[in-house]
Amino acid sequence: MSGGAATAQVPPKVTARARRRRGAPKSFDRPRFLRVFAALVYLFLFAPILIVVLFSFNSQKSLTVMDGLSLQWYEAFLSDPVLRESLFASLQIATVTMVIGTILGTMLAIGLVRSRARWSPGLNILMLIPLVTPEIVAGISALLIFWQLGVKLSIFTVMLAHITFSISYVAIVVRGRLATMGSEAEEAAMDLGATRLGSVRLVLLPGLWPAIVAAGLLVFALSFDDFVLSFFTTGDDVQPLPVRVWSAIRFGVSPTINATGTLMMVVSLTTIALAVMLPRLFGRRESAIKVLTGQEGG
Amino acid sequence: MAGGFWTRFLAAPGLWLLCLFALPLTLTLAMSFGYVDEFGRAAYDSPFAPGALDNYADAFDPIYLPSLVRSVTYALGTTALCLAIGYPIAYYIARFGGRRKYLLIGLLVLPFFVNYLVRTYAWVALLSDEGLVNNALIDLGVTSQGIQMINTPWAVIGGLTYGYLVFMILPVFAALERMDPAVIEAGKDLYGNKLQTFLHVTLPQTRQGILAGSVLVFLPSVGDFVSATLLGGPNTFMVGNLIQDQFFAANNWPFGAALTVIMMIFLTIWMIGYLRAAAREARPAL
Repeated sequence: MSGGAATAQVPPKVTARARRRRGAPKSFDRPRFLRVFAALVYLFLFAPILIVVLFSFNSQKSLTVMDGLSLQWYEAFLSDPVLRESLFASLQIATVTMVIGTILGTMLAIGLVRSRARWSPGLNILMLIPLVTPEIVAGISALLIFWQLGVKLSIFTVMLAHITFSISYVAIVVRGRLATMGSEAEEAAMDLGATRLGSVRLVLLPGLWPAIVAAGLLVFALSFDDFVLSFFTTGDDVQPLPVRVWSAIRFGVSPTINATGTLMMVVSLTTIALAVMLPRLFGRRESAIKVLTGQEGG
Repeated sequence: MAGGFWTRFLAAPGLWLLCLFALPLTLTLAMSFGYVDEFGRAAYDSPFAPGALDNYADAFDPIYLPSLVRSVTYALGTTALCLAIGYPIAYYIARFGGRRKYLLIGLLVLPFFVNYLVRTYAWVALLSDEGLVNNALIDLGVTSQGIQMINTPWAVIGGLTYGYLVFMILPVFAALERMDPAVIEAGKDLYGNKLQTFLHVTLPQTRQGILAGSVLVFLPSVGDFVSATLLGGPNTFMVGNLIQDQFFAANNWPFGAALTVIMMIFLTIWMIGYLRAAAREARPAL
């Protein structure tokens, strides 16, 4: 709070801008060096993806020389019954995972915040473990239980494995929002004659809705893109798209993989865009990142 | 009485996690003491039976040990690289992003919603011997035959970094956001130069985020087998490759399970270390 009168009086954002204007070279505390660095990081992150998209439109089979545009690799994708079947399988898995995972995850979040059961802290830890367990461990464990129970591996077993990790994701996101909401409005609803379940339906759920929708769509995208869990739990006849992509890559690079990858990108990025935009349609102006990371309530 | 109502919400998801997560993990542990019977099938055995720990002893055999060591060194390298890239960019956005802060972070997160396989595959196309990077280097006259980039440890670590960078950026960004920028001014007012202010003010205040980010990058890196398979070769195989082999090629499930348990024990120790370090910090964990 001491220091020069100028720094003490202006808010921090303005000082940052003012400092930038003055400009001081060769310092990591000022943006000039960092700006170049930041641009390089964005390039590092986006260049490989843009190359996949670009070469998916290549008119020849080369993966290094771009020679005119064509849609032949997309036609190749769509005319391949195996790939088409895999795409539908992945969409089915993601949809079922989203619905069941979101319902169970929301219930878990509400229960963990409100319940005073003695074993609730233990369940809290059980909920967190899937998030820090490497996927290969979850995949092998799921494979072992299905084998033990004699369940034939299929897209149904993939769904079961996906729902398990989704419960934890949804619970974290929804709980973040729940923590910022008091229970006063629900109590008021009950004072006005609502039943307990009625107050959950009429007051609690509408308040949680943005987080539930965002978490559900996030889980859809994660499930659609998941490879490792699917790899260990899928059967031989119908395989999710990422598992097919894996075998294709191992056989060698082909432009059809670029087209497949681009189509998968379209599905997941559309889902994420919805996850960002839909919560805003509920009449709240809040950042989706904050909803997803549970930083802020309505 | 009121608690009972809310406890009912826990029944279904709790049961699910118990049956489809806790129980399967226990099965993996049980399987790790097992053996392959004369028909080539996996069989359980008591952990106290003679030879029940053979699978664990095998893991430290000179044939397999290098993969285990490699997993740890590659994951540590990945964590360090993610910190070196992720901290400056998170710092830049948190302090100088202004109103576009969340847009800039959103753009950083976006690539991570592109399938991991497809992203790694893109690096194969870029780095392979006749790939785009080598072609460009030859055209520019930097080298005449190209440089071997794929099948090296660096390619694997690079692939892992590309895969998990976001897990470092987000917690560090959150920690920087929580920090009051006024304390940086205070550091300068106390005659600290920029480096001192950074080392004594900013860095300690964001240690929590660095710790969280390091764990979030390290955990999935150790178990990864995609990057090592696509960007590396047999000389860069990690424990994930070994485990996957036991289940799909060698058909030695008990040994695969033992490797999985070893990895889990190692990661649990790592996790406990993190939690204790995080608890030492005065501020609440992420």
